[in-house]
Amino acid sequence: MLANNNGAVIKKLAGNSVRANRRPFAVLIFAIALSAFMLFSVLTVGLSYLELSRLQDTRLHGSEHDAAVMNGFTEKQKEILSGNPSVRSVGVQAYCGHVIGTDADDTVNVAFLWGDRTFWEEQKAPARTGMRGRYPEAWNEVLAAKEVLEECGIGALGVGDCFSMTYEDNTGIHIEEFVISGIWDGYGGDKGNFYVSEEFYRQSGYELAADGILQLKFKGNYVPGWTIDRLEDSLELSRQQVFQPTDYIERSLTVLAAVLGLCFIICLSAYLLIYNILYMSVSGKIRYYGLLKSLGMTKRQLVLFLRRQMMAAAMGGIAAGVAVGALFSLSFVPYIMKVLGISLGDTGSDFHPEVLALSVSVTGAAVFCGIRMPVRMAADVTPVEAARYRKDAAMYDGDTGISRAGKRRKGGLCRRLAKEQLWKDKKRTAVVFLSLGASLIVFCCLTTVVVSQGKRTVYPNYWDADFILYNNTQTMEDISSLQQALDGKLISEVRETDGVAEVHAVKGVPVVFPYDAGGFSDCWIRGYAERKPYLSCTETVSDYEENPEKYYGMLKGIDEEEFDYLNTTLGNAVDKRDFLDGKTAVLQYAGFELADGLTDGTVRFSLGEEEQEIRIGAVNYGDYYGATVNAGANLIVSEKYLESLCTEPYVLSLNIRYEESYDEDTEKEIKNLVQRSKYSKDLHYISKYDEMKTIQDSQSGMLEAGMVTSVLLLLVGMLNYVNTMTVSMQSRKLTFSVMESVGMSGRQIKKLLIWEGLLYAGGSLLLTATAGMGITYLVFQSMNYMEIPFAVPVLPFLCAGLAVTVICAVIPVVTYKRTVKGRSIAERIREFEQGYFSSD
Amino acid sequence: MLKNHSIVIFSFCERFVIFQGYDIPSEQRNGGIAVEHAIVKTISLKKQYKTGTQTVAALDGVDFEVKEREFVSIIGKSGCGKSTLLHMLGGLDKPDSGTVVVDGMNLSEMDEEELALFRRRKAGFVFQQYNLIPDLDVCDNITFPLKLDGVRPDEGLVGELLSSLHIADKAQMFPAMLSGGEQQRVAIARALAARPAIILADEPTGSLDTLASHDVIGLLKVMAKKYQQTLIVVTHDLDIAQMADRIVRLKDGKLWNGGGFYAGK
Repeated sequence: MLANNNGAVIKKLAGNSVRANRRPFAVLIFAIALSAFMLFSVLTVGLSYLELSRLQDTRLHGSEHDAAVMNGFTEKQKEILSGNPSVRSVGVQAYCGHVIGTDADDTVNVAFLWGDRTFWEEQKAPARTGMRGRYPEAWNEVLAAKEVLEECGIGALGVGDCFSMTYEDNTGIHIEEFVISGIWDGYGGDKGNFYVSEEFYRQSGYELAADGILQLKFKGNYVPGWTIDRLEDSLELSRQQVFQPTDYIERSLTVLAAVLGLCFIICLSAYLLIYNILYMSVSGKIRYYGLLKSLGMTKRQLVLFLRRQMMAAAMGGIAAGVAVGALFSLSFVPYIMKVLGISLGDTGSDFHPEVLALSVSVTGAAVFCGIRMPVRMAADVTPVEAARYRKDAAMYDGDTGISRAGKRRKGGLCRRLAKEQLWKDKKRTAVVFLSLGASLIVFCCLTTVVVSQGKRTVYPNYWDADFILYNNTQTMEDISSLQQALDGKLISEVRETDGVAEVHAVKGVPVVFPYDAGGFSDCWIRGYAERKPYLSCTETVSDYEENPEKYYGMLKGIDEEEFDYLNTTLGNAVDKRDFLDGKTAVLQYAGFELADGLTDGTVRFSLGEEEQEIRIGAVNYGDYYGATVNAGANLIVSEKYLESLCTEPYVLSLNIRYEESYDEDTEKEIKNLVQRSKYSKDLHYISKYDEMKTIQDSQSGMLEAGMVTSVLLLLVGMLNYVNTMTVSMQSRKLTFSVMESVGMSGRQIKKLLIWEGLLYAGGSLLLTATAGMGITYLVFQSMNYMEIPFAVPVLPFLCAGLAVTVICAVIPVVTYKRTVKGRSIAERIREFEQGYFSSD
Repeated sequence: MLKNHSIVIFSFCERFVIFQGYDIPSEQRNGGIAVEHAIVKTISLKKQYKTGTQTVAALDGVDFEVKEREFVSIIGKSGCGKSTLLHMLGGLDKPDSGTVVVDGMNLSEMDEEELALFRRRKAGFVFQQYNLIPDLDVCDNITFPLKLDGVRPDEGLVGELLSSLHIADKAQMFPAMLSGGEQQRVAIARALAARPAIILADEPTGSLDTLASHDVIGLLKVMAKKYQQTLIVVTHDLDIAQMADRIVRLKDGKLWNGGGFYAGK
């Protein structure tokens, strides 16, 4: 028998078939290209989103690390971390004193920090945006950010300039000349501090075992929780040590899972899109395939013939999709964002080879899965079956909704028909609901999480104040410098500002605790001296005995509402009546514990000539009332009691709360008042709004990247819906023509289709409002470290819901019109009948 | 029974109100030619179709009349324009030129919405492929045109149709569950349910065997007589055509025998 290469004829047939069916093949290639494009774009944008999350974390912490061991560490612990195979680098950072003042400003709040080479060159580098000069090497060199120089009143100085500073370290208070070795710019809370050399650190008297911080960076970007836990256990931390992983590393796997989840939705949508198109294409040509079989083509040859065509379409589609995706993700998205004035930070969208490989292979797999059923359908048909094949009838075969349909008769005719249509093909309906719902749910989650990010991560101020205004003269060593910087005029102006709901003042007056051997003041001064290694305890106690006024304390008065809040934070509640009547005070913790008998006993103090006595009811461990620099104790008493002792106490701080948190107008007005005050130089404030803004700024393009991902997903959902509708309209072409032939008007058809669209939209929105809200809530709470109330951003949700509803309602009508193409009912019915029987 | 009649009367009054704008004087509506009892009239009806690069004249100046309650069959070879003529009469298609007047209404001047109302209320169509709505059961298929109109179906009439057409036991079934003959009987019931003025049947027996074909045409004829409706059937089966009052032959888009010849049944 002679060899016969039938591959050539199949190839020719496939080629001719593609040429003869250019339009359907163009649609198929477009669908595959669209899927590849979506996958590539979402993966690229998703990865960029992850990178931006990492960047945000780096900027917030001021360095790129995944966990830190705080409150000191041992050399052994550092070795354990360095030797761990999952750890890439271990950096060291340490506190080594604070600045008391410079020649230009004596009210500065600046610390000295030292970082080792790993910290500065590897971990700190991603958070730096600029650097002039170098890291300090000599003991008298400092590295500063512009901010710290301004804080010290020496903002005009540059690299190489010298200045004088008074500072305190563990060896005492010193006045020295320093040289600026470098000026850096970038992100992080450490911009308000000086970096010093290792030599300075060694001379400062601090020890890494007590004050050092170890910062570690993992090799991978996604580390499971158990790896972190195991690492923590291996360190055998002491009671005072704290192991703190960053937000990013703690949720990195969750984020990765979310990205993979999005990819799964894309893959599912791609598969459905390709399957639908191929199914329509194959089912429309069943008679042709039957003809080929009747002419002797084998099943294997038919499968080969079909696969050849599909593979050609797949290759073309994937190449086009990836190319457009690359163009879109890497050029168009950053361009549009630039035009809109949105910054993607330093990251932007990068090319990821793994994304390219994944997009190609996954789209290829989706095509492979998508063609299996239609090819099998075409291959399994017998010539006789093919000759009798009737597309519409075939699509209604196996319709399990038949018996149900007869029972549901509620609602108008159009509504009922629309409802039955949804019930008829439950699988398809479920896919549309899931596809649209999943897109909307992702949109919900991302919008809620991203929009709330600023507020959710702001560390709350005392009593959740929106604005705390401090009298900075209370931080000066010299008591005579204390002034009424928060004067009555300013306070009344603040109170009268629109949008201010509450203003609570902490008033204070210096008091002296006479020396009482073995009593409260004796124990207090010993505790104080022990915390200052450079002070001799005996000398300090002796000095106190002779000059107790040098070690003055403060009596701080608070109003009733403020007491109510304070009382809820105390370990043991204080009797309110006793507190308000001035019988009980709350002792402010100062970093050392007193004996039990002293913290619930009676304390004597003198104010002016008179000596007073008050019982200590509780100890407050919060730091809000410890802002003053006095060595003596701070006693918190009622405002009324304080004013009975002193007619004009100093106002030390104002705790301001707005009617609406983060209100920009109120914030602006208060800041204006502060700026206009004649004591503005001596005022210092902490603003919740500013902190939120700082966090939002550090997020860079996270919001935009999240939005782009959401919108792309919504687009995928919509495309799937459009595809489902196209298939549905094609398969119901005859039904609509028949309905029209028996008198259904165009308006009624439109109404029916709009109802159908609204039901799809309603189902998807219902899914989003129920399961979606639940998921959003869980995701939100899992990241809600600051316990801010769960709130959904109503406007984006309403817009998305409205857009989905309108598009869902419009698409069936548009698709129907495209299917009908303005042909008469007779033409449409004839087209169908000619496909089955010859007719004139 | 009285109640059912009142619904029908109301339904007809409503139709009159809707169509009164088109209820033109008989001389005008018949193109100036006074025709006694003519329910259907076409004047110089022309329709062309494009097939690739060729243009085919499906109807080439057809002048045709059908009297009230008459049963006319239209015969001719494939492609002669039979179905096209029927589609014009049923308002399923529009002529390129010429006039179609049915029950006093000039279909050529109606817009799509008016044509939909015409098909719903004045014409009942029976197709070769039955063309039932697969989503609806037999009962819903039959009453569908009435429901489109917001009219409550006359249950007595529906029951009568079902039993007359021998499909009473199939009322809750869906088209896919029925045989071809049964489906065609459902299609006939649907065409009759709204009590239209004319019944138009396009090759109604084309998909049926001889026995079922005679059964279907017999039923159509009986029902049309019973409800005093005009019946126009397109067929290429001469046996079926012989059952009509008059046979009209079309050839190349033109009437072959003028007004047709009477079958003498």
